[in-house]
Amino acid sequence: MNADALGRTAPLSRRALLKAAGLAGAAAMLPLTGCGATPSTQNGVTTLRFMQNKPEVVAYFNQVIKDFEALNPDIRVIQDFNEGNFVPGLVRNDPPDVVTRGFAQATADFVRKGVFADLSDMPVAASIDPKIQDLVSSWGQYNGNETSALPFSLAAAGVIYNRDIFAAQGVQVPTTWDEFMAACETFKAAGITPIYGTFKDNWTLGQGMFDYVAGGMLDVGDFFSKLTARGANITQGAPESFTSNFGPALPKMLQLAAFSQNGAASKNYADGNAAFAKGQAAMYLQGPWALSQLVAANKNVRLGSFPLPVTNNPADTKARVNVDMALSITRNTPNMAAAQRFVSYLLEPSVVNTYNEKNAAFSPLKDAPAVENPQITGLSASVTEGRYYQGATTYFPPSVPLYNYVQSFVYGKNGQQFLAALDDEWRRVAERTAV
Amino acid sequence: MTITSRVAQTARPAGRQNPTSASEKTGTFRSKNTIDPTYYWMVLPVLALFAFFITLPALVGVFFSLTNYAGYGDWKFIGLSNYVNIFKDPAVLQSYVFTFVFALTTTVVVNVVALAIALGLNAKIKWRTGIRTVFFIPMVLSALIVSFVFNYLFSNSLPVLMERLGYTPLATSILANENLAWIAIVLVTVWQAAPGATIIYLAGLQSVPSEVYEAADLDGAGSFRQFLSLTLPLIMGYLVINVILGFKGFLGTYEIIVGLTGGGPGMATQSVAMRIFSGFTGGDYSYQMANAVIYFLITLLISVIQLRLIQRRGVSL
Repeated sequence: MNADALGRTAPLSRRALLKAAGLAGAAAMLPLTGCGATPSTQNGVTTLRFMQNKPEVVAYFNQVIKDFEALNPDIRVIQDFNEGNFVPGLVRNDPPDVVTRGFAQATADFVRKGVFADLSDMPVAASIDPKIQDLVSSWGQYNGNETSALPFSLAAAGVIYNRDIFAAQGVQVPTTWDEFMAACETFKAAGITPIYGTFKDNWTLGQGMFDYVAGGMLDVGDFFSKLTARGANITQGAPESFTSNFGPALPKMLQLAAFSQNGAASKNYADGNAAFAKGQAAMYLQGPWALSQLVAANKNVRLGSFPLPVTNNPADTKARVNVDMALSITRNTPNMAAAQRFVSYLLEPSVVNTYNEKNAAFSPLKDAPAVENPQITGLSASVTEGRYYQGATTYFPPSVPLYNYVQSFVYGKNGQQFLAALDDEWRRVAERTAV
Repeated sequence: MTITSRVAQTARPAGRQNPTSASEKTGTFRSKNTIDPTYYWMVLPVLALFAFFITLPALVGVFFSLTNYAGYGDWKFIGLSNYVNIFKDPAVLQSYVFTFVFALTTTVVVNVVALAIALGLNAKIKWRTGIRTVFFIPMVLSALIVSFVFNYLFSNSLPVLMERLGYTPLATSILANENLAWIAIVLVTVWQAAPGATIIYLAGLQSVPSEVYEAADLDGAGSFRQFLSLTLPLIMGYLVINVILGFKGFLGTYEIIVGLTGGGPGMATQSVAMRIFSGFTGGDYSYQMANAVIYFLITLLISVIQLRLIQRRGVSL
C-alpha cells in the first residue's frame, strides 16, 4: 500500500526535480557563453585591450593612450593594470590584445606555449638594440625563430647608495670586492649601518644579495642553459648542478648579510625604504623600483647606484638587469592590425625614451640618448657596454619557493643544505614537466 | 503562480491526509511515509548550486590531476605520475607534517582556552554581558586583518618592548625565527578562533540544569570535582563538536599564515593549502591538483573517523 502510493507520487516530484535541474543548469551556462566573443569593432572603432604590468605607471599610459587615440581615431584603447587577469583571460580564451610583462621564466613559459604572436616582421623591431632583444630571446623562442616580445624598458639594479653619507665618510664608489668590504668597515666603524637589510620580505634577499653575488661570480645565463639541457637527468654531483657551481658565491652573501643592521629579519621592504630614505644606512641592495619610493619618503635624499663588485677585477663587475616591460601581442587577437599600430606607437622614441627617463630605467632603442638621471648614472656604463646579467632568481620556475630557500640559507647559514635543496627542487620540476 | 499555490497547499504538516486537488486527482490515500515534494523544492536549488560550483569543478580538478596541464596551453595525460612525484617531494611532505602538528596543537589550545573563557563568562560575574561582547570581537574581524595587525606587533612592538625589558631571546621578531614562528601562528589562530568555540561551550553550559549542581553541593563535591564529574560529561557533546569543527578548519589554515609569515621564514610554516594554491600561480596546476586530491582523501578519512566518534557519543551534526 505504502509503496504503491510512493510509486504514484514519486514521478511527479522526480520530473519536477529534473526540470529544475535543467533550468538551473541552463541559467548557469548563459553568462558563460557570453565570455568568448566580445564585440571589438563598433561603428568602425576598434577597441583594444592593453594590459600593462606596472600599476604605478597607469597615469603615464593613460596620457600615451590619449595621444594615440587622438592620432588614430579609429582605435580605442582600454588600459588594464591588473596582471593577475592574464592567465584567467587565457583560460577563457579571451586574453587582452596587447600585453606588457616583465620578462622572466613565467613569461617565457607563455612564449613556449605559443601564446604570443610573432613580431619580427614589424618595422619597429629593427630599432631595438639587438643585445637587449637577446635578453628576451635567451629564454627560448617559439618555433625557434619567432620574436614574441619587444623590450620596452630595461631596469638595471645594483647597490643604491646615499651620496651624502659616502661624501661625509670620504668613501669612493668601490670597484672591487675588497674596496667594497673596506667601505662597509668604514661605515661600521663610524656607527653607520653599512647595508640596510629587509630580510623579512624574502624576495629582497633573492633579487638582492643572491642575484648580485651569483651574477658577479658566474655566467648565470650559461649556467642555466647547461642545467636546462640536462633536463631531469641531473644529480648533485654533476658538473652542471647548483652544488658544483654556486659554492664559492655563498660565503659572500653571508658577508653582506653580516653588514646589515640588527633586527634586519623583522624589517620588510616598506620599512627598508622608509629607513634608508632617512639616512639610517649607507647602502641598500635594491633595484630602480625602490628609487621613487625613497624619494617619496624623503625628497631631499641624494641617491646613486653602482653595480656590486663581487671579484677583485673591476672588469668583471656587472649589473643585474631585467626586461621590466616587454610588449607582446596575443596570437589569436582579432585586432592584429590595430594592435601592431599601437605597439609601433609605444616604441616611438618620444614614448619609450620618455617613459624610461621618468622611471629610472634604460631605453631598449639602438640610438637612445645617454641616461642623465644621477640616481642611475652609475649603472649606465655597465648597460651600454653590455656588462650585465639577468638575475639567477628569474630563471627559476615559479613553483620552486626559491626566495624561501634563500631566506633559510641567510638565517641558517647552511650552504650545502641550500644548494642540495635547489638541486632537488630543480630535478623534481624537470621530472614532472618533462613528461 | 501555479507553483506558489501548489507549494502553499502542500506545505502543510506532512502526514495528514491532504484534502486538496492533488490527492483527489490521483485518488490515493496519502500515507504517513509520503514525502512532501516541498522538501525537494527546498533542497533542489542548493543541490544544483552545490553540484555546479563545487562537485563539478572538483571533478574537473581530479581529471586534470592526471595530466600535465599548467592551467592554460597544451596538455596531455600522464597517468598517476603527479601522484607518485608528490610522495617524493620533501617540501610537500614537510607541509603535511606542519599542517597536522599545527592543527592538533591549535585544536587543543583553542578548546582549553574557550572552555576556560566559557566557564568564566557563565559564572555570575560583574559586567557579564559587556565582557562577553569584548570576547566575541575577534570573531567578527577578518583573519587577514587580524594577522596583519599581529604581524606588526610581533615585528615591531614586541621586540622593542622586550629589548627595554632586557629579555634578549624575544628582542628579534619571533616571526623571523624558524623554530618559533609557528607558535606565533598558533597564538593568533587561537585568538581568532576561541570566541567561536566559546559560544558553543556557553550554549552547552547553559543547558546544564542547576539542580545537578545543587545536588552535588549537598553531597559535598568541590568545584573542581563538580567540573570534572558533572560539567564535563554533560557538555561532552559540545566538546566533540568543537574539536571536530576546529580540527577540520585548522587543517585548511591559510590566510593567517599568509598575513603573518607568508610560509616563511624559509619553508618553516608552509601549510598544505598554501602549497596547493601555489599551483595556480606557479604553472604547477596539475601537480598541486594531485596534492589537493590526496589531501581531500585524507580529510575525508578523518571526517569518517570523526563521524563514527560522534555517533558513538550520540551527538549528531
